[in-house]
Amino acid sequence: MTYFVFFLGVCFVLGILGVASNPSPYYGVVGLVLASVAGCGWLLSLGVSFVALVLFMVYLGGMLVVFVYSVALAAEPFPEAWGDWRVLGYVVALVVVVLGGLVLGGFVGSWGFGVNTVDSVGMFVVRLDFSGVAMLYSRGVGMFLIAGWGLLLTLFVVLELVRGLSRGAIRAV
Amino acid sequence: MNPHTTPVLAISLALGTTITISSNHWVLAWTGLEINTLAIIPLISKSHHPRAVEAATKYFLTQAAASALVLFSSITNAWATGQWDITQLNHPTSCLLLTAAIAIKLGLVPFHFWFPEVLQGSPLMTALLLSTLMKFPPLTLLLMTSKSLNPTLLTAMALASAALGGWMGLNQTQTRKILAFSSISHLGWIAIILVYNPKLALLTFYLYTIMTSAVFMALNKIKALNLSTILTSWTKTPMLNATLMLMLLSLAGLPPLTGFMPKWLIIQELIKQEMTPAAMAIAMLSLLSLFFYLRLAYHSTITLPPNSSNHMKQWYTSKPPSTPTAILASLSILLLPLSPMIHAIV
Repeated sequence: MTYFVFFLGVCFVLGILGVASNPSPYYGVVGLVLASVAGCGWLLSLGVSFVALVLFMVYLGGMLVVFVYSVALAAEPFPEAWGDWRVLGYVVALVVVVLGGLVLGGFVGSWGFGVNTVDSVGMFVVRLDFSGVAMLYSRGVGMFLIAGWGLLLTLFVVLELVRGLSRGAIRAV
Repeated sequence: MNPHTTPVLAISLALGTTITISSNHWVLAWTGLEINTLAIIPLISKSHHPRAVEAATKYFLTQAAASALVLFSSITNAWATGQWDITQLNHPTSCLLLTAAIAIKLGLVPFHFWFPEVLQGSPLMTALLLSTLMKFPPLTLLLMTSKSLNPTLLTAMALASAALGGWMGLNQTQTRKILAFSSISHLGWIAIILVYNPKLALLTFYLYTIMTSAVFMALNKIKALNLSTILTSWTKTPMLNATLMLMLLSLAGLPPLTGFMPKWLIIQELIKQEMTPAAMAIAMLSLLSLFFYLRLAYHSTITLPPNSSNHMKQWYTSKPPSTPTAILASLSILLLPLSPMIHAIV
């Protein structure tokens, strides 16, 4: 299990590097999917299965829809993959940053790389993430409403930004 | 903009600010910050000009990164200490991260580049909102955590802000950019006193809000986006231009005007804390910003007009009176005699 979680962590970092090294969106999304799958698996190993599932479905689904639209808008005849020199430079620089972070984290040691789980240590029958979701419908209803309003506002903002054929934010200039 | 959208955005701006400044829990404060960021974006790109859209994009990217850092610092703190209270930010790493995040949100110096460019791309009234209302929630977070922040880091950022805010504003001809750099150097004054006397930082922010609102509204009245427009506006609104000169000198912090009060009190407090070199440095650095305030003031009340005008005063152009501008202008000029009372109230 420890090796599997370590494998997930390595996949997560590699996926993030795949996105952050700035390839074409066609290839960047592969890194995004890899990071998302590995990150949700990692969360699963910490014991928050519901949050991992919701994150996987909503985040990955939403990101893929955004990806399809942006690829349709910006079609490139010669997309840059990870083999190109420019992208390789980014990869090398980011690997140096990650290694520096690991060394620094080893020195500081404030976060620790040990195994931690989000568990209630047998205090409750229900898992913590499930009971947290239930709280959103009982005592935390105010937070729930605010979060819902924030998402609705995002919809309004996006509609206002892209509204109109000739003056929306997404148009051929 | 669609008339139905404007009330939604206005309500959300008020809601986001209120949530952040009244919250006690990091997640709620972060939610308020995000609602604020989202609600201001259509206001920035109201004209749908490519520059406005670019400004909105820049604003969104910087603010999203800063919000993510706020969330990251609070999660680190919660992981280490087991609580989400804003005032109990005890973990040193989270303190550093939060200082960086709020500095990005406010536009303090190592992270200040987005601010003049966003202001330059937005309309004057949105620029007013960006430099007053949108700075209030992050400043409140900084105020609530001020007990555990690193004073050396804040002082260094504050001195750098005062220096670069004055320095980079020297060669500008666009009024919005000049006011952006003025905002950066004022935030330097706020940041230097934050750890030692949080009430004074709040007082400085309030007075800065009054003064800069007055200047923005006066500039909006004469539709002055650059210095040459101010040069020709004296024929239309002579009284407003004379008042604009006084308001600009008040922003610069010259003695008989309101703007002197925060600088006076801050220098006094710094000297009480035995930080005389820092007080001297920031006072000297504000001379840099005095230069561009003086140039704006000279342009607004120019004694020798650069081009001939047929009429001394264009009485026939329509100039409806604006009560808020008048009130803000008198407040930003005349408040200095009331400083003991204001200092006691805040």
